[in-house]
Amino acid sequence: MERVLNKAIKIKEHLNEQYLEVKKDDFKDACVYLYQQRHAILRLMFAADERQIDETFKIYAVFSIPGIDKFFIIVLSVRDNVFTFPSITKEIPAAHWYEREIRDMFGIIPEGHPDLRRLVFHDSFPENSYPLRKDWHISDTDLKEWGEGIKQKVPYKFMEVEGEGIYEIPVGPVHAGIIEPGYFRFSAVGETIFFLEPRLFYTHKGTEKHFEGMSFFDGVRLSERISGASSFSHSDAYCMAVERMAGLEITEKAKAVRTLLLEIERLYNHMGDIGNLCAGTGLQVGYAKGAIIKERIMQLNERLTASRYLRGVNVIGGVKEDVLLKADDILSTVDIVTKKYKELMNLLNGSISHIERLENIGVLSEDIALRLGATGVTARASGINDDIRKAHPHLLYDRLEFESHTMARGDVFARMMVRAEEAECSISIINALIENRYKGELTVEVKGIPPYSSAFGYTETPRGSVFYWVMSDKNGMPLRVKLRSPSYCNWPAVPFAVHGNFVPDFPLCNKSFELSYSGCDM
Amino acid sequence: MIKEILKNLAGRKNAIAIPDLLTMPSSEAPNFVNLHKSVDRIFCRSLRIRLVDAGSCNACEWECTALTNPIYDIQRFGIDFVASPRHADVLLGTGPVSRQMELALKKTYLAIPEPRLVIACGDCAIDGGIYRGSYAVANGVANVIPVDCYIPGCPPTPMQIISGILRLIESLH
Ligand code: SF4
Repeated sequence: MERVLNKAIKIKEHLNEQYLEVKKDDFKDACVYLYQQRHAILRLMFAADERQIDETFKIYAVFSIPGIDKFFIIVLSVRDNVFTFPSITKEIPAAHWYEREIRDMFGIIPEGHPDLRRLVFHDSFPENSYPLRKDWHISDTDLKEWGEGIKQKVPYKFMEVEGEGIYEIPVGPVHAGIIEPGYFRFSAVGETIFFLEPRLFYTHKGTEKHFEGMSFFDGVRLSERISGASSFSHSDAYCMAVERMAGLEITEKAKAVRTLLLEIERLYNHMGDIGNLCAGTGLQVGYAKGAIIKERIMQLNERLTASRYLRGVNVIGGVKEDVLLKADDILSTVDIVTKKYKELMNLLNGSISHIERLENIGVLSEDIALRLGATGVTARASGINDDIRKAHPHLLYDRLEFESHTMARGDVFARMMVRAEEAECSISIINALIENRYKGELTVEVKGIPPYSSAFGYTETPRGSVFYWVMSDKNGMPLRVKLRSPSYCNWPAVPFAVHGNFVPDFPLCNKSFELSYSGCDM
Repeated sequence: MIKEILKNLAGRKNAIAIPDLLTMPSSEAPNFVNLHKSVDRIFCRSLRIRLVDAGSCNACEWECTALTNPIYDIQRFGIDFVASPRHADVLLGTGPVSRQMELALKKTYLAIPEPRLVIACGDCAIDGGIYRGSYAVANGVANVIPVDCYIPGCPPTPMQIISGILRLIESLH
């Protein structure tokens, strides 16, 4: 670390976050050192408009080193008149989307980035319009044409594959099933996918800007509505960020409730996902069984929290509902679920044709997963042992005994098996949590948000790690809320996994990643 | 065994088996038999829905997916979700309509043969919901295409969606 520390012109510590501000010339060096020498993982990268504090924009690159519960944040100041920063994508490929996003949202150009096409905005979004700058407002730009696609202001060039027998199959954004919108362009040779280029961000809703228009307390409701099936994890990470910023420590009881609900959320997602894979292989009975188990847990959710998606429980400073009072209901439901789940797995393991379809398709190698910064089940099924619950223990996770499961093969089967093992692990965590008593009230009082302070919040959603970074302005209102959902990291891995597979296997591969469009597009 | 099947067949007209997980508070319970009859009469036993996600958070979709699971099993009323708008009678829109989905929503709507109906499902689809006022959304389906029926909720539960569909059908009388 010496090498980076020596270069820092300003060092700030806050809980397990270490901010190291460096000069422009050292930015790349510092990041690359962490990545190459210390094998750090790039967790996220973002910009913030801090002109009201010190006349600069800031670029933050957040790393964590395996085995150390600490975040190393390399900070770079960008002055108003230069609007560029050195790109690190060539050395750290995981940065590729983050940098393009910074370009789209702030107009700060990553110098040396190999692909400077737009990421978030589509062709008809006005040029030179950067929504996340503080002085930008809707009314400044002519948005009338946006979405109509009549006038292409910045044309998007799809990558072209040339060669004998190669043809293109465009699909989307409206797909055949009940799924979210996205556009895919396959370049295929016969039945085989040679190259896939996804174009996403159809569901971009300006969420980060929207956060800035409401108080931190109201933001909880919005954070629950970023990605439906991860409502609880998102709001948990958001609340955690605001609480850390305000210097709050929530009670043991609130921690227990949050941990419990996080695991219930994981359980219903994994159950549903295992079932959905069956829909992909045509094993209807497996799909039906998975859906019934999921429905059972959703109904439990409704009894516990009055919301099938566990919404409305989290508040800044704790939780509203003491779900531990309904321990009997949870235990009996989890018992039934465990039994039904075993039946389902027996069925699947006995269905050779099902397993056969899953094996050796959609293979994501460890090397690519690592370089692209994949997270969650996707990463663990490719042999990367990374789980935020272990790497950066929060809530009650440091007291609980559990393993993070990995598998080296990286195919659809591996992703299913990792889910199955995690589901079992969630069941045992739920049972263990309910056995104990916890001290404290449900909430602690929030005294106010200190001006110009910031902090991270994070957790492991069913899909992988989620991060929030919040910063307050001088009145304690949000100056910036950055969110990074797991799907944002995993989407770029999909084209690599499907390369060489049959086009008809694509839905199955895609399902096995179980990616959220809304969470990614924000 | 055969006896039982025969007995079931004989009793089928007035009995729709209700799975044990299907819990209905009497206040919001739609009249299942009515729904069945209405679909029979007005849509000749087949009502096809094309769902378009116009920027939802995906919870609304999950609830629609749940409608097709063995518990709600909406297919037994003759209602189903279809892949192509060309096969659909109804467009069910979710989400606040992100500006980047506006065009796709409009085109899908136009691809449905007339007479077509539109349901706006979820608070977002009604008026933008929590996303109302954001620079990147059109604040509801009705701002893009004409809407015939609104189903409030965030997300509406599967039962509420069924009730909503029933309301739409009844309004056609
Ligand atoms: S209404 Fe609620 S559940 Fe439906 S898309 Fe909007 S935020 Fe999501």
